Amino acid sequence: MREEVGDPERLVSRSELEELADLFDRFEFALDPLSAKAREAESEFENKVRQLFSSRIAPKYPDLGLSVFRCGVRTWCRRFLQKSSRQ
Amino acid sequence: MKACLEFEDILRINRPEISKLREIGDSFESVDQDGACEAFGQQVQLLEGAVIQCYKIAAVVARKKGGDLSEVAEVWEQMSQFCQLALEELRSLKNKYPHCGTAQLYDRVLDYKLAADKRLQAVQEEIECEKRSAIPNGLFPDPS
Repeated sequence: MREEVGDPERLVSRSELEELADLFDRFEFALDPLSAKAREAESEFENKVRQLFSSRIAPKYPDLGLSVFRCGVRTWCRRFLQKSSRQ
Repeated sequence: MKACLEFEDILRINRPEISKLREIGDSFESVDQDGACEAFGQQVQLLEGAVIQCYKIAAVVARKKGGDLSEVAEVWEQMSQFCQLALEELRSLKNKYPHCGTAQLYDRVLDYKLAADKRLQAVQEEIECEKRSAIPNGLFPDPS
């Protein structure tokens, strides 16, 4: 069952991840990777990932590095985008 | 039965634009010959179109591959190699044809190669993270 926004059980909510997936889509799969829009989306994605990591992930998982967290978010975004485009 | 094109097929279709650049470049002794820069510049434009088009297709294919990380990596690696081939030809021809759009195309192709390399490197890191099971279970919801 999908958790709702603000689910206290999740450090990162589905809606936050979906927002990240939207940004990820706009730069990772940009048809023009050199466009300003793609660069802005990437910068915003990176800022949000860093913010989530420092405010919620690092305090609970001190051994988990930012780069590993970023990997997890990126892979989640890929799978989410693939599944949502099939629907 | 559906016939599907692989990304490799797209690259194979476009690869002749790289070899044609060499052929046209070698067919003139000097850029000062009549029609040399015009013919070469025309092929430069065709190659630029091929690189941009292949990149767009790579992005669409990589998106469709989704969580199959090794296949995503393969797409970006192939795109990077295609750019590398174009760069090698351009590098050897840009002294002979310095003012026929060669330097601009070289920079453009380099940008596209760097974009493909960046995506390749990132997906390779993701593959490593998955191998090491580095993400704690339950940290993220199911993406479906």
